[in-house]
Amino acid sequence: MPIANVIRIMRKILPSHAKISDDAKETIQECVSEYISFITSEANERCQREQRKTITAEDVLYAMSKLGFDDYIEPLTIYLHRYRELEGERGSVRGEPLVKTRNNNNNVDQFGAMAGVGTYAPAFHVSHHHHGFFGGSPMGAGYMNMRDASSNAGSSHAAALANVEAFAHHK
Amino acid sequence: MRQAGTYSGLLSGGLSGRTGPHSLPLARIKKIMKKSGDDVKMISGEAPILFSKACELFIEELTQRSWMMTIQGKRRTLHKEDVASAVMATDILDFLVNLVSNSSHSMDNPVEVETIATSKS
Repeated sequence: MPIANVIRIMRKILPSHAKISDDAKETIQECVSEYISFITSEANERCQREQRKTITAEDVLYAMSKLGFDDYIEPLTIYLHRYRELEGERGSVRGEPLVKTRNNNNNVDQFGAMAGVGTYAPAFHVSHHHHGFFGGSPMGAGYMNMRDASSNAGSSHAAALANVEAFAHHK
Repeated sequence: MRQAGTYSGLLSGGLSGRTGPHSLPLARIKKIMKKSGDDVKMISGEAPILFSKACELFIEELTQRSWMMTIQGKRRTLHKEDVASAVMATDILDFLVNLVSNSSHSMDNPVEVETIATSKS
């Protein structure tokens, strides 16, 4: 990963008087690459078990949850939904239709409720590290439904749609 | 093609004003993903985008934990040792243990040990 990007993200977290040694910057840069490899390997294993060729976003989310990064699941799922919403506005969506518009108007309404979530700020309370940082959110439950359904099958559509609707009510 | 716009990096930046105009480069992420295993075949367009955000969260968490170590040492400069301490203290960061311990401070460097022994005598 380019070190400038890494440093910029670090500085967002650190107080303004903090200094960062060069070896710390490099170490964290290497840790990020290792993180990507680590998660991808697990995601790929799942693909192979299910005899699929393409690593999907859901595979990545599954791997993160399995490897202990549960706290990331909710903010990432929000991020992914907003990305898919934007993609839907830009044109036809290929590949992983989360909401393949059963009801076009409802799309906007559902995600309209999410607008306020845009200013999401992940706060890490280092003093305690729980799984399920955000509690037993319905998004977590909804996510599990998506995991069970193969993401390449059309049958996942219903589960995915239920997932989105459940989330929308819990803005 | 949708991929072209996606990989220009602009879309990710536009998603959340909070992350700023530049998130991590998607092409680089995809390259690292492919290198993670010989049998990594195809990667959906969304996976690197998801990783871009995930890596941001990861850097934030690792930095926060490392900084806690710096503070405990009553220092203001975050050093590699602080990152190593944070990794040791956190279960989910176990996969980084070897990475952070590959340093000149590692025990399997006999030259350094001999030098110190000599100078002490």
